[in-house]
Amino acid sequence: MASWFYRGLRRGIVTTRYPKQLDEWATTLPSPPAFHSERLTVELVDQLVASCDSGALSRDERQLRVDLGRCTGCGRCLQAAGGAAKASGEPLLASLTRQALIKIVPIRGRSQTP
Amino acid sequence: MTHAIAGLVIAAAAAWLAAATTALAARREAGLRGSAACALVGGACAAVAGALLAIHGSGTTLRLGGGPVGAATFRIAPLAAPFILLIGLVAAANALYGPRYHETGAGTCAYLLVYHLALVASLAVLVAGDVVAFLVAWESMALLCYLVILRHHQRTGVARAGFLFIALSEIGFLLIVLAFAILATQTGSLDLATIAARSHRVSGAWRSAAYLTALAGFGFKAGLVPFHIWLPAAHPVAPADGSAFLSGLVIKLGVYGIALFGFTLLPGGPAWWGLVTMGLGAASAVLGILYALMERDLKRFLAYSSIENIGIIVTALGAGMAFTAYGQRAIGTFLLIVALYHSVNHGVYKTLLFLEAGVIEHAAGTRNLDQLGGLIRRLPRTAVICLIGTVAIAALPPLNGFVSEWMLFQGLFQGFRIPSHVAGILIVVAGALIALTGGLAINAFARAYGIPFLGMPRSRTAARASEHRQPVAGPALLAGACVFLGIGAPLVLTALDRVARATTGLDIRAELLVPQLTVIPAHTDFAGFSPTYLAAFLIAVTAVPILIYLAGRPRGTSRRPPVWDGGILNFKARMQYTATTHANPVRVTFEPLYRPHIDLERASDDPAGRSGPVHYRFQVTPIFERYLYRPVIWVVRRAADLARPIQSGDVNLYLLYVFIVVLIAYAVYE
Amino acid sequence: MSNDAPMLEDELAAVSARLRREALSVFGRSLHIRTVDTGSCAVCESEIRLLAAPHYDLHRLGFFFTPAPRHADLLMVTGPAVRAADNLLLKAYAATPDPKAVIAVGACALGGVYPEDDLIHGAVDRVVPVDIFVPGCPPSPLALLQGLLVAVGRLGERVSALSLDLDDGRLR
Repeated sequence: MASWFYRGLRRGIVTTRYPKQLDEWATTLPSPPAFHSERLTVELVDQLVASCDSGALSRDERQLRVDLGRCTGCGRCLQAAGGAAKASGEPLLASLTRQALIKIVPIRGRSQTP
Repeated sequence: MTHAIAGLVIAAAAAWLAAATTALAARREAGLRGSAACALVGGACAAVAGALLAIHGSGTTLRLGGGPVGAATFRIAPLAAPFILLIGLVAAANALYGPRYHETGAGTCAYLLVYHLALVASLAVLVAGDVVAFLVAWESMALLCYLVILRHHQRTGVARAGFLFIALSEIGFLLIVLAFAILATQTGSLDLATIAARSHRVSGAWRSAAYLTALAGFGFKAGLVPFHIWLPAAHPVAPADGSAFLSGLVIKLGVYGIALFGFTLLPGGPAWWGLVTMGLGAASAVLGILYALMERDLKRFLAYSSIENIGIIVTALGAGMAFTAYGQRAIGTFLLIVALYHSVNHGVYKTLLFLEAGVIEHAAGTRNLDQLGGLIRRLPRTAVICLIGTVAIAALPPLNGFVSEWMLFQGLFQGFRIPSHVAGILIVVAGALIALTGGLAINAFARAYGIPFLGMPRSRTAARASEHRQPVAGPALLAGACVFLGIGAPLVLTALDRVARATTGLDIRAELLVPQLTVIPAHTDFAGFSPTYLAAFLIAVTAVPILIYLAGRPRGTSRRPPVWDGGILNFKARMQYTATTHANPVRVTFEPLYRPHIDLERASDDPAGRSGPVHYRFQVTPIFERYLYRPVIWVVRRAADLARPIQSGDVNLYLLYVFIVVLIAYAVYE
Repeated sequence: MSNDAPMLEDELAAVSARLRREALSVFGRSLHIRTVDTGSCAVCESEIRLLAAPHYDLHRLGFFFTPAPRHADLLMVTGPAVRAADNLLLKAYAATPDPKAVIAVGACALGGVYPEDDLIHGAVDRVVPVDIFVPGCPPSPLALLQGLLVAVGRLGERVSALSLDLDDGRLR
């Protein structure tokens, strides 16, 4: 019974200080992708859409639609995109509306024409 | 005043005889009602007589008859006052109940005839003034109760129940005759008052023999363990008002007999009488409630509960005798008051519960707890009245059961005042056993009320129960009596104190009731509470949240979603707790006592039970029948078998017997 | 054009959602949560269970788990709303007294991973109205805490301001 007491004295308070302060490692948690819109092309985006098993990515003309609600943070799109995408590092995504979870990224890159 | 009391008693007896004769016309509705009206008048007379007798505190004697038939003495003594009050209340309640319960017909005629005669006989037992009158009244009462039990003699089990009743009643009667014979020969008189006055002439060993025989004899009628086996068989098979009469009144006559012997005819007995009585009482209480918890038949359950309460009453009597023997006369008188008070209380609420059990049986079609359920919606008035009776019998404040059990505990806990350590410890152990029964009784009655009334109906007949034309007035009268006896306890105890003063000669009014309507257990610095103020307090305390709710509840419509059942797709009534499962913790804990016989049949060995139903059968072993009665019966049978050759039927052998007896008589008387 | 036309469905839904949130902010100091699993893989449940552990400790913020929907203010629903769990979810929703709110937790509950077919609804808001959405697979306990604090109005939500366009000037 006393072991937790001594352990507590040694370790100090282990409880997170959130919401006053967010833990430093929070940004390393699995998070949705963020894209370099300048490097996105329509063909690349179609590949990314095919790579998403959860249906979070879809393309609408020259816009990439990212549904944060459906994103599982699996990273398949990051692999397929190469340097065009990286993890956003944003773990706190609670929303009061479903619409606010749908983000639009414009496709600004030019396709390589042979 | 005493003439008025005697007049009322005679009027009650006359009214019941009138009811008996009117009952012969009960083939028609008018006859039934007329009989009930006479019985109600008789009940009122008896109740008033009992109350007046208790308040007045002294009795009277009547001599009837004379000449060649012989005279019979009737003595209206204060000790019988609570029982006379009780017989009045029971008779009145049954009278109000009867017309709506019984169907008209020849069977009802005969039944009501013997029932009202049984009432007269019970009253005669209570007012009998000499030994012969007592014994005649007692035996008539027993035979008439036997006929009451046999109302539906063609049903299975009724004949056996009646036989058990009459057989054990006769054994008890023999013992009572023996006890009275000892007293009569030793004191040289048949008159009870004279026996009481000359009781010092009965010497040591005869005294104990008389008391113990009387304890056993009256114990058979009262239902003390191990003399109780007829009770759970006989009480359920009688009609509801007959069961109420048996359980509410007739077993109290056994208690009256024990009190008569212990406090009037053989007062000042040694302490071990009291301790033995108390031990039997405590054992009856615990065993009664333990067996009650295993019962699924509502009326058998109530019968075992009667055994438990008789145990409590007899414990109070025995402890009172023990305290008196050790010089603590105040506490001894106090415990006598407790015993009388609890007799009346139990008579009232047990009668109520048996009458309501009859209503449930007629309305829902079954007495099996595992098939009832949800009756609180179908039978609302019955539910309310039954709740009052259940709260009273479970000894919850502020009703009468709580007051009398509180007083019993306070009396038993004063065992430390006794100089003998052993006796003091035994008394406190008895207190602990009664406390155990109190807890088990709350469990048992939560089950007995909750399973039939709450939840969902467990069978179709229960779902169709209807309160139309079910009797309400009789049980309602008793419910009112419960409330009055509880809240008006100071009044009741004043009267009982006068009764006790007449019986033991000690007036403990100052150590029983102090100002502000408070009851104290014969010692001013031990404990105390006021039933009246407690009731007022409870009403106030429950009224405050109710008033807050009524004032502050939302005005709009409220939403009534279905009961949260965990999200089960289809909640069936069969998924509820049954009476059997409710008592499971007690069953498991006390398994060495129950020694159950368990049968388990599976349709297949599939552990998930998918391939068919599982049959589980649980039977409590009747240890008294198996280990006490069967050996005795076996011995008697063996002796009878050995003696059979004497009755060979050969005339020559009989002539030889006559010749031998003549020879012996000649030799002895020469 | 007169403005006394009756409110449209969407406006009504928005108003009632706002009222629910305002009512729920009354519970900001003490909120009782009942979890409902409509067919999840139980990883969201593991994260939810961690909320009571010492590192995240939701009790210090005034949140409590309760097994009975009758005592709950907030229903925390996980899983893709399997049709076989309709009965469970709807009964739990009906049994929760007003004012109440529903928080849908995890990618499954928000419509991801499993599309709608004849065995599952796919998203919880197709069965009961949802007030707060917490994405993640599973959402970390920090995300769950943020969701709860947003639900009772003690924190503002941040996702509206989030931009996933790294080449845009507004990137945080």
